[in-house]
Amino acid sequence: MPENCEATITLTGDLHARPAGALSVAAAQFSSAVQLAVADSQADAKSVLAVMQLGASSGQQVTVRAVGPDARNAVDALIDILSTVTRVGD
Amino acid sequence: MAARVGIVLVSHSASLAEGTAELAGQVGGGSVTIATAGGTDDGRLGTSIDKVAAAIRRADAGAGVLILPDLGSSVLTVRTLLADEPDELPDQVAVADAPFVEGAVAAAVTAAAGGSLKAVLDAAQEARHARKL
Repeated sequence: MPENCEATITLTGDLHARPAGALSVAAAQFSSAVQLAVADSQADAKSVLAVMQLGASSGQQVTVRAVGPDARNAVDALIDILSTVTRVGD
Repeated sequence: MAARVGIVLVSHSASLAEGTAELAGQVGGGSVTIATAGGTDDGRLGTSIDKVAAAIRRADAGAGVLILPDLGSSVLTVRTLLADEPDELPDQVAVADAPFVEGAVAAAVTAAAGGSLKAVLDAAQEARHARKL
């Protein structure tokens, strides 16, 4: 039975190329479909180019949605990575 | 950890290949081998079949190698090598029809995640549809 899971976090830094890569590498470890939503845009979390195209920046809310057998773990893992995105570094 | 798909960047310019490898490697988190074949054997702009062959051998960890050429004769050089010396190369080799920078970044991330050669190839080629704005 697939589960649905969703969580939202406010970024404390911009979602640059390196954290976008870390997100996509992590998302690909799960069999669930994982989406990121920022403002009016959505991206497949497993596609690094789509994640970068979101252009998510400090202060914006990012919602992680997952559907599938490991949805909860996927959302937890991605929120964890998003929480480490800070102003420092790129 | 299972072997990762290796990536070969083939460019007319050694510095373009190396800079793209640096960027893609960082976005991918550093766990993927990205080998470069840039410029001619005597350091000019152009491509070298020997450099491409050597880069493929460096990138091969047993899970396959994705080759990403930049433009024009890079593609010809890669295709000539694959056609003329298939016995000298790893069994699983694929050539991506993809934009160089975006394709390299997407391929590096999918390879870092443990994706198959087919998955890494698909990720690179999907970069054709990625918009910047």
